[in-house]
Amino acid sequence: MSNIQTHEYELLKGMEKRERRILAKVLSLCESDPGKANILLGKLPKSTAHIVGMTGSPGIGKSTLVNAILNEMPERRVAAIAVDPSSPFTGGALLGDRVRMQSHATSENIFIRSFASRGSLGGLSPSIYEACNAFESFGMNYVIVETVGVGQSEVDIVNVADTVVVALSPDNGDEIQMMKAGLMEIADMFVINKFDNPKSQILLSRLRAAMAMGRKEIPIYLTNALTGEGVSDLVKALNERFLTISSNGVLKKRRKNRLIHHAQSTLKRELDFLIEKIDLEEEGIDLDGLRRKLIHALCWNHSESRK
Amino acid sequence: MIKVMIAKPGLDGHDRGAKVVARTLRDAGMEVIYTGIRQTPEQIVQSAIDEDVDILGISILSGAHMKLVPKILELLREKKASVPVFVGGIIPDEDVDKLKEMGVIEVYGPGTSTSEISEQVKSFVEHSDT
Repeated sequence: MSNIQTHEYELLKGMEKRERRILAKVLSLCESDPGKANILLGKLPKSTAHIVGMTGSPGIGKSTLVNAILNEMPERRVAAIAVDPSSPFTGGALLGDRVRMQSHATSENIFIRSFASRGSLGGLSPSIYEACNAFESFGMNYVIVETVGVGQSEVDIVNVADTVVVALSPDNGDEIQMMKAGLMEIADMFVINKFDNPKSQILLSRLRAAMAMGRKEIPIYLTNALTGEGVSDLVKALNERFLTISSNGVLKKRRKNRLIHHAQSTLKRELDFLIEKIDLEEEGIDLDGLRRKLIHALCWNHSESRK
Repeated sequence: MIKVMIAKPGLDGHDRGAKVVARTLRDAGMEVIYTGIRQTPEQIVQSAIDEDVDILGISILSGAHMKLVPKILELLREKKASVPVFVGGIIPDEDVDKLKEMGVIEVYGPGTSTSEISEQVKSFVEHSDT
C-alpha cells in the first residue's frame, strides 16, 4: 500500500473507532484539502446531527451562549465549530471563541474546533460543509456552528444549519432595524442575550412589533449566557424543534438545500483552482473562449478522476 | 497555513505577554488560537490535540514553570501528540536549560523582540517533521 493509502486507511479506521485525535486530523484535511476530505467522508457511514447555527453581531455573547448550551447538554455528543475572521491583509487570524468554552475542553462528549473564515464572506469557513459532515460521520448528536460576528447580510449559515438561532443584544437598534431583510429574516429562533439589561425589554417589544407585521411567528428566548438563566428553555426548544422538523419535512428540505450549496462550493473551489492554473498566453482569447476552456478543463478533470 | 495555540496555564492572570505574542503571530499571517487564562495542563493539551495545532506556546509568569511545563510535555507524550512547545515569560536562566533539555524548543524572556518570535516560530514549524 502506498503511503497515502495507509494514511487514508488510518483515518477511516480512526473515525469508525471514534478516535478524537483522528477526528482532529480529518478536520485539518477538510481545511487543507476539502476535495480529498469529501472523498474520504464519502466512504464513511453518516449519522444525522442537529446542526444549529448561532449567529449575531460581534460581542453579543454568542460564544458564551454556546458554552451555556454545552452546559445544558451533558448527555449528548456535541461539536462546537467556532468561526472567527481572517485578516484580509496577512491571512492571519485570532481565534478567540474557544476562550469562553474552555471549561468543556476536556469533556469526553464535547469537541470544540476553531476555524478561520479564510476569505469567505458569508460569516463561515470555506470548509464548513466538510467540517459538518466530518462531525456527522463521527456520530455527533449536535453540531453547533458559531459564525463570525456578523452585520446584516452575512447569512450563509442558513444554507448550513437545520436551525438558525439569531442572537441579539439589548443595544441592537430600533424597530426599523428589526424590519430589515437579511439577518433578521433567517432566524428560526431569536435569543435576546444579556436580558438582565433593562433595555432588553424595549428590544423585546420592538422585535414583537416588527414580527406582528409579518406572517411568521418566530419564538423569542431571553437568556443571560453568563449565569445560564433562560438557557435550559432554549435547549429544550432546540430538542423539540429537531423532533418537529424531522417529521414535517423541514429537515429534508434544509438538507437538500445544504447539499446544493455544498456542491456549489466544491465546484467553485475547483474552478478557482483551474483559473489559477490556466494559461492566458493564448492570443486573442475572449470571454467565451475562456469560459469554454474552463468548462473543458473541469469536465476533463472529472473524467480523469473517475478512471 | 500555520496554526498556533497560545496557552496560559496555572494561576497567574498576567496575560499581556500572551496577548502581545498572539497578536504578533496573527500579524505574521498565522492562525492563532488563544485559550485564555488559568488553564490546566489537561485543558491545554486536549485543546492543542483537538485543534490539531502545528505548535504550542506557553506563557507563564507565576514561577510555576518547572511544575507546569513538564506536566504539559508529559501529557503530550502520553497522548502521542508530537507538537513542538515554546515557552515565554519570567524564566530564570538556570531553568531555561532544564526546560530545553526536557524538550522545550525555545524560551523567550522579557525584552525579546516580537519579530524574532514570529520568525522563529515560522521556522520551527517549517523544520518540524510532523
